[in-house]
Amino acid sequence: MSTHDNPDERTDDDGSVARRDFLKGAGLAGLVGATGYGAAREFLQMERLEVVDDPIGDYPYRDWEDLYREEWDWDSIARSTHSVNCTGSCSWDVYVKDGQVWREEQAADYPRINDDLPDVNPRGCNKGACYKNYVHGAQRVKHPLKHVGDERGDGKWKQISWDQALTEIAEEVLDVMEDGDYDGISGFTPIPAMSPVSFASGSRMINLLGGVSHSFYDWYSDLPPGQPITYGFQTDNAESADWYNADYLIAWGSNVDVTRIPDAKTFLSARYGGAKTVGVFSDYSQTAIHTDEWLAPEPGSDAALALGMARTIVEEGLYDAAHLKEQSDMPLLVREDTGKFLRASEVPGLSVGAGDDPEKVMIMQDAAGDLRIAPGSLGVREGEFDPGSSIELDFDPQLSVDRTVETTDGQVAVRSVWDRLRERLAEYTPETVYQQTGVGRETHQRVAREFARADRGKIIHGKGVNDWYHNDLGNRSIQLLATLTGHIGRNGTGVDHYVGQEKIWTVNGWKHLSFPHLDKSGTGPRGMPTTLWAYYHSGVLDEADPKLRERIETSIDEGWMPMYPEERADGTRPDPRIFFVWRGNFYNQAKGNTFIRETLWPKLDLVVDVNFRMDSTAINSDYVLPTASHYEKYDLSMTDMHTFVHPFTPAVEPLGEAKSDWEIFRLLSERIQELARERDVGPIEDRSFDRELNPKTLHRDYVRDWIDDESGALEEGKDAAEFILRNSGETNPPDSDEEITFEDTVEQPRRFLANGGHWTSPIEEDTAFAPWKNFVQRKDPWPTYTGRQQYYIDHDWFLEDGEALPTFKEPAEELTDEYPLRYLTPHGRWSMHSTWRDDKYMLRLNRGEPVVYLNPADARDRGIEDGDQVRVYNDVGEVQAQAKFYPSSEEGAIRMNFSWEDYQFPGGNNFNSPTSMLLKSTQLVQYPEDSGEHLHFFPNFWGPTGVNSDARVEIEPVEGGEHG
Amino acid sequence: MSHDVTLAEGIDHQVAMVMDLNQCIGCQTCTVGCKTTWTEGEGRDYMYWNDVETHPGEGYPRGWEGSGGGWKSDARQEREVGEIPDQEDYGRPWEFNYEEALFEDDGPLRPEGEDPEWGPNWDEDEGAGQFPNSYYFYVPRICNHCTHPSCVEACPRQAVYKREEDGIVLVDQDRCRGYRYCVEGCPYKKIYYNAVTKTSEKCLFCYPRIEGEGPDDEVHPPVCASECTTQLRLVGYLDDRQGPIYKLVEEYEVALPLHPEYRTDPNVYYIPPLAPDQHSPDGETVDVERIPREYLERLFGPDVNDALETLQREREKVNRGGSSELMDILDHTNPAKQYRLEVFNDE
Repeated sequence: MSTHDNPDERTDDDGSVARRDFLKGAGLAGLVGATGYGAAREFLQMERLEVVDDPIGDYPYRDWEDLYREEWDWDSIARSTHSVNCTGSCSWDVYVKDGQVWREEQAADYPRINDDLPDVNPRGCNKGACYKNYVHGAQRVKHPLKHVGDERGDGKWKQISWDQALTEIAEEVLDVMEDGDYDGISGFTPIPAMSPVSFASGSRMINLLGGVSHSFYDWYSDLPPGQPITYGFQTDNAESADWYNADYLIAWGSNVDVTRIPDAKTFLSARYGGAKTVGVFSDYSQTAIHTDEWLAPEPGSDAALALGMARTIVEEGLYDAAHLKEQSDMPLLVREDTGKFLRASEVPGLSVGAGDDPEKVMIMQDAAGDLRIAPGSLGVREGEFDPGSSIELDFDPQLSVDRTVETTDGQVAVRSVWDRLRERLAEYTPETVYQQTGVGRETHQRVAREFARADRGKIIHGKGVNDWYHNDLGNRSIQLLATLTGHIGRNGTGVDHYVGQEKIWTVNGWKHLSFPHLDKSGTGPRGMPTTLWAYYHSGVLDEADPKLRERIETSIDEGWMPMYPEERADGTRPDPRIFFVWRGNFYNQAKGNTFIRETLWPKLDLVVDVNFRMDSTAINSDYVLPTASHYEKYDLSMTDMHTFVHPFTPAVEPLGEAKSDWEIFRLLSERIQELARERDVGPIEDRSFDRELNPKTLHRDYVRDWIDDESGALEEGKDAAEFILRNSGETNPPDSDEEITFEDTVEQPRRFLANGGHWTSPIEEDTAFAPWKNFVQRKDPWPTYTGRQQYYIDHDWFLEDGEALPTFKEPAEELTDEYPLRYLTPHGRWSMHSTWRDDKYMLRLNRGEPVVYLNPADARDRGIEDGDQVRVYNDVGEVQAQAKFYPSSEEGAIRMNFSWEDYQFPGGNNFNSPTSMLLKSTQLVQYPEDSGEHLHFFPNFWGPTGVNSDARVEIEPVEGGEHG
Repeated sequence: MSHDVTLAEGIDHQVAMVMDLNQCIGCQTCTVGCKTTWTEGEGRDYMYWNDVETHPGEGYPRGWEGSGGGWKSDARQEREVGEIPDQEDYGRPWEFNYEEALFEDDGPLRPEGEDPEWGPNWDEDEGAGQFPNSYYFYVPRICNHCTHPSCVEACPRQAVYKREEDGIVLVDQDRCRGYRYCVEGCPYKKIYYNAVTKTSEKCLFCYPRIEGEGPDDEVHPPVCASECTTQLRLVGYLDDRQGPIYKLVEEYEVALPLHPEYRTDPNVYYIPPLAPDQHSPDGETVDVERIPREYLERLFGPDVNDALETLQREREKVNRGGSSELMDILDHTNPAKQYRLEVFNDE
């Protein structure tokens, strides 16, 4: 701080002001503190200014005020949003002035669901409020770029024409097609819901070529494996408005105040509406600060805490017995000898209906002690979903059963799942839970009681649980709390998992747009679990322990998990060849990226990145194709956080030579078609699907509406958006005259009209969407093996690993003297993944470069002060960042926010460099093994998750502290 | 209940804002919205007319709480002498080497010029205390449009004034010569010197928006309020007895000015923060308040105790199934109540 000295100021030639000038003050020091009207009057006369009698309320010279009024001015406003997998799906008004995007402000016109719920408006965040910086920013790719250096990432680029780019890429695609390696062409583009037309653009071309679509929700470890395991469903969530309906609301590893900024209002409002809120975070997080009670389990110990709470609920009789009997597998009988469910086929005299499969029918015991068929078992229903079947009970199944049964194998001891669970939970005594989690012996029990006794208890569940190797155990243990208490399937209840914008409400329209072979040949997408692909092709598999390797091979051989390129007839398997990336930043976000970069990346013949900005993947590509920004195209947006659909519309024309994704892949299809005819490539018989791949008709097929059988109908991105809305039950219900058109969404966000037959609850007027009502209220069987919420999985691998029931296991990588710190990479508030990570407005509001958050005691033990450069390292890799003190962090854990770009670190490493590539083999199974109705691979629905929280590191100051 | 509302003499109505700190998540959408609307280019880049600070903390500009300004006594005859912050206390508006780092493999991406050692949000989330009983919360700040603005008094050119119709405090950009007495005199350091235009500038309470002076002819609340994702701000007139500001400030007395001891009588009011109780060494929740009361008293004065008590009492009422007008005002089920800006238009 300085006091006044001299008023003369200088502006340098370039208009900037030198720092020394800024520091100089006005030169009227004598007046400081002694102004007042008398002194002022004297001064004003000296300056020949009119004297103002009273500047409070009577200032006469106000014409100048137009200066700022004239700044509040614009030429046009367009409605758009952002496509960044943030789950926000926020509708924004984009203000254009002088042909440039000037600013944006939330459109704030989502309809009210119900006047008793908080208004969902305005949805948005700090990032969305400055996306305009990218539209005209220095990060923008404006022309097609071709890498011309020796090594990818060396910064040697040549600007080329669209014509050259399309021709060269098309030629390479056709080379690969000629070799029969079409399954060596793959596309990585995440999360259709954030912009389904853009998702579909490249996916459609690749599907028609016979190429492979990568999964992403599992790879990002956003998929909670516990949901398919317990509920038989990928994920279904309440919209955030439903949080307000809860009267006991727990945020468990879900930092809503940072990662769900548009929805945080509802979490906070719930406190004023009569709810108690609880935060479960290993740090005193930004969400914890606004809760009524905070629990601080050790990182990775969530399952132990949940199981301890479950023990209290069970032992104190606070559970909902009726719910458990009807809706869960608790009354089902399990053989003591094999650990498998007792099946109807094993019990002489138990009859099932004609056409039923007694080997897939489970057994319960009624109040009279008789054995009964469990209604809703897979063997008595028609496939995975069977609304014609019911789990409604006409007898009283017993929860606690411990007896013998005369079976085809003789006398066999059986116990109910409930009895097994009680035995398991008995391990989680208050003392054990305290030792494992650090949460107080009394406190966790009290919170369990409060949750159980609440009328409506809800848990918001997030990445703090889901990023761990044993995420499935964490999910299942926490879900158990909702099942035990019956807090599920009603508004204001349930375990809502929000990580990733996976909920593509308009699922049918999206699917058919993205994978036209569904209509052309009746075959599905060639989908692939990306975690397994990365693990396999990065050479990590070769280093894996023998048991894991054997299981991976079994899973691939049995066809539980696909692997591409497929093994050829001669037993060889080619390497992947062409990799298209758009709407995602694969290179930046690859877990265990050390292995991806060293082994997988060099295998690729061609990497094409379609991007509006130069991100880490673009930088490491062979071609970068400039795409339209979010304010320059047509598309749609939706999310699990709300029940509305709204559009992207162009506020300005694409900058430079940029084109929309839809146009880019259409043009590439056109060029491939043209050259295929010239070179006579195709048709080609698909190796494993009953279909022909024909590059000679690629463009014709691309622009054809296969459902309405109309050629040339999908030339434009807007046509594709209309296709999605027209062909989805959520927006065009078959049994109704109502329909949502694209123009409707431009006018105002529209609430879905129906659930399209895909989601687990109806869309009800005046009611926030909450999932699972079809099962809990309508009593459809759950889409699991048993037809119930299933906590016991009798797959051999689960039995072998002691995970048939939820249990707690320590993080996969043990802390050691050498690497004594947990390395966590949570999402921060200054970026949405890597987007905005390099934005100057965001960087100015943190430290301008990557930071690592340290408990001050951990830092000082190592001679580190706030602001120092530190090296974070382990035996996998290392990364350098600036130390920032965060006293609210537990000791023994450090945090670096997810997704700083490679070019923000010195030396080319990034935040993921110290993470290993881990793969949990129980996430590779099919269940039942032979038919897989409950668990089977489908991209993003079931597959191994790419976790990254188990890493352990050490840190040290960087001597000399080269400032990056 | 009826309470007297004291407006500055000569002011017909006084705009005011209440910010509920229990809903501030530190996301800074307000900050960004304000920036893109008002403070880009032309010497304004370093300014945050609206900022959000982690408290306890240094704030923006660094150390503003100890920088003087305001009035020496309630008589408001003599100003407390203040200091002018250095540019480093605000932080520089960094520009970055995008071209080199992104297109030429010549990184890393860094602020150009000297290595930064401070910025407007440098000590974000730091707060005070030790894990597990550390504490921090966010305080958004704009100009307080004070009833007794010491900045007005400080200006020897009489270029700072308070509007008659709404009490908004402005710096006349024609008359100002950039002496910065107002910067020094404002105890909240909410006036910023523009070294390009050589004038001082400040938060406008978005008067062009509340006047409805845009091409859409519509009245909008200030950007920082309308873009706030948790809608923690209520905007209206202090003297609108039917409005939420009056109820929160005068009736329930849960909204308090920041640093009342500066004696400028701010028209921005804060609902003080609650926090979860402390933990014992063995992980139990214990009945000890996390944020020391003395700290909150230092920010909001002794009235903070009654305010917190009222807030808790009304929450408990609702928790027991009762109803509370106060909770209804704060919980967003009736957004129409949030902004009352056209109430005196007919006068």
